[in-house]
Amino acid sequence: METQPEILFLSRKILELNQQLVESQSAKTHFVSLVANQLNNPMTTLLGLIKHLEPAQGEKKHEIFAMVHEAVLELDFRIQNLVATARIESGSCENSATLVDIKSLVDEALEALQYMLDAKEMLVVIDDAVAHRIVTDAAKLYRIILNLLANACQYGDTNSDIEIALKKANNTLEIIVHNVGDAPKVEFKPQIFTRFAASAEGAHGLGLGLSIVRSYCEMLDGSVDFFVSDRKVTFVVQLPITVQDTTISACGSDEFLFESFDDAIEL
Amino acid sequence: MISGSSIFIHVGQIHVDVAPQAISTVLGSCVAVCLYDATTHIGGMNHYLLPFWNNNGLQTPKFGNIAIPKLIDAVVAQGANPRALQAKIFGGASMQAMRDDTMMIGKKNILVAQEILREYRIPIVAQDIGGVNGRKIQFDLTQGKVLMKYALRAE
Repeated sequence: METQPEILFLSRKILELNQQLVESQSAKTHFVSLVANQLNNPMTTLLGLIKHLEPAQGEKKHEIFAMVHEAVLELDFRIQNLVATARIESGSCENSATLVDIKSLVDEALEALQYMLDAKEMLVVIDDAVAHRIVTDAAKLYRIILNLLANACQYGDTNSDIEIALKKANNTLEIIVHNVGDAPKVEFKPQIFTRFAASAEGAHGLGLGLSIVRSYCEMLDGSVDFFVSDRKVTFVVQLPITVQDTTISACGSDEFLFESFDDAIEL
Repeated sequence: MISGSSIFIHVGQIHVDVAPQAISTVLGSCVAVCLYDATTHIGGMNHYLLPFWNNNGLQTPKFGNIAIPKLIDAVVAQGANPRALQAKIFGGASMQAMRDDTMMIGKKNILVAQEILREYRIPIVAQDIGGVNGRKIQFDLTQGKVLMKYALRAE
């Protein structure tokens, strides 16, 4: 077999080239991590305290307060995405399984994005066909939903609807988000899910949201994809549903996993 | 028999700890690199799925060329002496369902580990790589030993 040495030789070459690529990106990665850590703590303080500054309804300053509050929420959304990116890239982002009500996560995400929905006068229609709570990582799923909805708000038309469908079939959870508006080009699919890639569409934002969605979907053994028909954009997240008792650790139910190491080889 | 508890790591994770902790994982075509400093009993393990990050998606440790340097940085940051580090590598099986294995993911995963560890001058003191069976490993940080069992089929 001549192909194997050749492939391994080419793999070595790819490794060399990739090392250069990683080095060229390392400053960016380090910067993301640094910024995320530096901004997260003061942001938490701001979020906690800002509500105490709210003037009474009808006061002149109330409108100004509302604008500041929206800016803080928007800033927090971006900082939490930076924090998520830094965690994913650090490798210290473990899954944590709990019983989750998907609809309540969607409601929570909509509440966090209410200022964006109000600004664009968008309506949200939810079709929830998931009757039961499921076992998954609530924090990761929340960020997946939040980023998909933020994406739909950001690129959706003013006065349009966002449709969210929650489905469960064959042990797979599907989260489908439709919006009408600026559609990402299908030929840019790989770039759309890559960090700092908003330039593929010449648009705004840090280009982190969808890269987080993809990474979290992969961590939960799922996938994300999108489809475009005219100006209707559909993002589909598919996640396997683990049927297991929540009192059991999330290490999986494979018998092999729980076998003892009694007759194991020692190296 | 380990005296501490065992942390299980999934694909794309890195865990660094100190004795008496143990770290375990299950591998198919994925590769896990175990690093150990016998003088401080600090060690760590990664578990990567693919050999190369190619600027597509986040720079996560599910790629070998990201996971191995990150593991080295992490054990050194924890207090391990970089000159005392020794490596053991496991996994890289060919999937049963793809006997021809034209993508050679397992082999490429192994190659990346060997090349990067050579570049960092970290000796590989033990390895169990390739083949067609999955593996379950437990890395005991008290002695730096790895217990390994084969699965009937790759993951």
